[in-house]
Amino acid sequence: MTSLEAALEALLGKDSMAPAANEGDGPSPIPRVRPKSAEALAEVLAFANSRRLAVLVRGGGTKSGWGRAPTRCDLVIETTALNRLVEHEPGDLTCVAEAGLTLGELQRLVGRAPGHNQRLMLDPPQGGGATLGGLVATAASGPLRARYGTPRDLLLGARFALADGTLARTGGKVVKNVAGYDLGKLLTGSQGTLAVIVEVALRLHPVPKATRWVVAERLDPQAAQAALAALRRAPVVLSMAELLWPEGTLLTRLDGAVSACGQQAEIVRALLPDSRVAGESEAEELARMIEMRPWGGEGPVLGISVPLTRIGELVALVGVGGPVAQLSLRGTVGAGEARLREGADPAQFTARVDALGGFVAWHRSAAHNAPPLQPNDPVAAGLALGVKQALDPNLTLAPGRGPE
Amino acid sequence: MPVDRIPAPLDQELLEALRQAVGVQWVLTDPDQLRTYECDGLTGWRVVPRAVVLPSSTDEVVQVVRICHRSHIPFVARGSGTGLSGGALPVEDGIVIGLSRMREVLRLDLDNERVVVQPGVPNLEVSRVVAPYGYLYAPDPSSQRVCSIGGNVAENSGGAHCLKYGFTTNHVVAVTLVTPDGEVAHLGSAVPDSPGYDLLGVVVGSEGTLGIVTEVTLRVLPVPQRVQTLLAAFPSTDAAGEAVAQIIAAGVLPAAIEMMDRATIEAVEFAMHAGYPDCGAALLVELDGPQSECEALFGQVVEICRSCGSSEVRVAEDEAERALLWKGRRGAFSAMGRVSPDYYVQDGVVPRSQLARVLAGIRELADRHGLKVANVFHAGDGNLHPLILYDRRAPEGPERAKRLAEDILSLCLEAGGSLTGEHGVGRDKVCQMPKLFSADDQRVMHLLRRAFDPAGTANPGKVLPTPRLCGEHPGIYRPHPLELSGAMQRL
Repeated sequence: MTSLEAALEALLGKDSMAPAANEGDGPSPIPRVRPKSAEALAEVLAFANSRRLAVLVRGGGTKSGWGRAPTRCDLVIETTALNRLVEHEPGDLTCVAEAGLTLGELQRLVGRAPGHNQRLMLDPPQGGGATLGGLVATAASGPLRARYGTPRDLLLGARFALADGTLARTGGKVVKNVAGYDLGKLLTGSQGTLAVIVEVALRLHPVPKATRWVVAERLDPQAAQAALAALRRAPVVLSMAELLWPEGTLLTRLDGAVSACGQQAEIVRALLPDSRVAGESEAEELARMIEMRPWGGEGPVLGISVPLTRIGELVALVGVGGPVAQLSLRGTVGAGEARLREGADPAQFTARVDALGGFVAWHRSAAHNAPPLQPNDPVAAGLALGVKQALDPNLTLAPGRGPE
Repeated sequence: MPVDRIPAPLDQELLEALRQAVGVQWVLTDPDQLRTYECDGLTGWRVVPRAVVLPSSTDEVVQVVRICHRSHIPFVARGSGTGLSGGALPVEDGIVIGLSRMREVLRLDLDNERVVVQPGVPNLEVSRVVAPYGYLYAPDPSSQRVCSIGGNVAENSGGAHCLKYGFTTNHVVAVTLVTPDGEVAHLGSAVPDSPGYDLLGVVVGSEGTLGIVTEVTLRVLPVPQRVQTLLAAFPSTDAAGEAVAQIIAAGVLPAAIEMMDRATIEAVEFAMHAGYPDCGAALLVELDGPQSECEALFGQVVEICRSCGSSEVRVAEDEAERALLWKGRRGAFSAMGRVSPDYYVQDGVVPRSQLARVLAGIRELADRHGLKVANVFHAGDGNLHPLILYDRRAPEGPERAKRLAEDILSLCLEAGGSLTGEHGVGRDKVCQMPKLFSADDQRVMHLLRRAFDPAGTANPGKVLPTPRLCGEHPGIYRPHPLELSGAMQRL
């Protein structure tokens, strides 16, 4: 046992220690702790901060490759022992949960309240084992974003620990609230560089009574662009509008009351050339399929966003000989993920997305290291740096990943 | 409080610099002109600024802010001045930077569902401009004819329809921010997922304390195919509250659910004869969206209202009838002025499942304080607006109203709610912040503020309490001139 491990064990107790393990490509095992309370987590964080140790926060580990790899790591703090559903009031469609609760477990718990079948309407990649804190920290979302938004839109409040061990709250647990700065938005997508999220309050939705899928296939880029423009103006509410390339498939999902759902599916079908309403077994297959895309297979995966009017041009980049193996895009939002071919350099593709007026985020970047979390605008970058320095002056949290 | 204190004028050198920046006629120093800016929609608080500067571009705002920064002059940005928390209340020894001359719609990019506007553009103007193309701007504060987009960004404004569509923060995708030291930052992007921290997310709703927004990119939405509106009469607020809880729990997401209690309905009938039924409470429910969905859900809402004891459900058959149903709701606050000499408005939020319980609690508190409370509010998201009716000439009138207001707020917080749902903290609720946020919570907010504004010149004394601030008390409510003229309704 190293002297650090001995000190950590003295601080937290033996049963909060996890086996040391290598982090990323790191050469030696890194001590890991699994604090059992927010207070204990804050305490170990303050301990590390005062000794200038570099800390990496870890939830379910499903997105540990997202963002830039930290330059140093002396201690991993896992949030997985903070896994209680603190509060679920079905009548309010809200819940409060500890940050280490997994999305899969949350869905199970909020789905079984008597007389209510509710869900957190978030379907991020590898979502089941992902923790709520991790999902907020990575701002991860999936196809349902088309209707329900991202963690930014679903987070009502949070409790978090600063590097110096301060435990603080922002927001609340009610759906409408403008008291104080919305630090929840600041933490969303901050990739563990500003604070450690220990508890979240989230907005839930009822599970829809009926669901219909409409499938349009063999679209070319122009047809896809036109179909999406028509869909956005159509009198329908889409829960998903996933554009899958290179297949040229547009999958739309409609949720709601049974009768309304069927009628809207019919409107979509009439609008999209060569489309059909999927049967029940095909629908299940489609749901499974889009969950895997484009993550199945090797190669870097990038988050991509482009203006709605440039989607046609984006998908035209995907094809034989191009750098992109597979693309899944929320067609009414203009955001999604692309998996590059093995060995492809994300930087080259980034330049092409830039040229379309879009953005790239590095999710699974294999041999390449992602750029640090930084706005493009120089003055905004200065503000971001000021915020980082104010909240984590010793660069304790994931050094090298945020603005420094 | 320094209502009638005339502040020391700025020295000549400073005035000259401001005049050079924006033009001589756009620097106001005449005491009568300055008085126009002494308060916002919360008229109980008044401070005369040392000068009012009216820039016409981002560049001019930059120059003015740099002058303030150099000379350590605090500044308060102001849109249309309709805010209800004293967010645009001038600060002693400071100047007001009015954005009312920056009212151009700069770009429409409807294929990308975006509109770029200057901060002085009135909220309703955005919807008016995009309406011919079949779009709307969703946030709709009751003052939408007058209130500015810049002010909406500062306050993260809501409105009746934010139940379904979200608040300003869900519809602003990018801003140009003049930082408190006079730099120009571009936050967010017209395209989703711009890299870096979500600084835009903290600037929206920061009440002018992190800088001045001089350009705003908004998301606009296609106009829904169908809108359906009903008014349901209930025997009591308990029954109406139960209907709200059941509608929400059933997963029906109306565009708006507004509640009015008997005191409000009576005032509305007395003042404007909207033809509301004689009942203990009324719910105004609006659904919108695709026709098929609207119709399916509408039936469900009617059924829930009936099962919760609604004796009468009126359905608007056309746009004129819909306007009539909304007329009473929108005019409720001005109607209150006809039945009570004075009133004070709260903006507390409670979990929706607690509505009936909290309304009963408010009734008890009102009885205990010997005052009347009228309730007219955004029931669907639990955002209460209890109107405390009082007479400032009665013995201890304002003091009793204030004590009742504080008790009501405590009740909301005990129920797990919030201090403010849409009006903001501003100056009005700054001393109540410790009821909701611990010293550590506030310290972290302070760290963020200092990262944007190290010198502390941007709207000091708002949002976060200081020991000096919290000994003073507001004056009594006086109607805003815009309200008297009928140009603006409250809430």
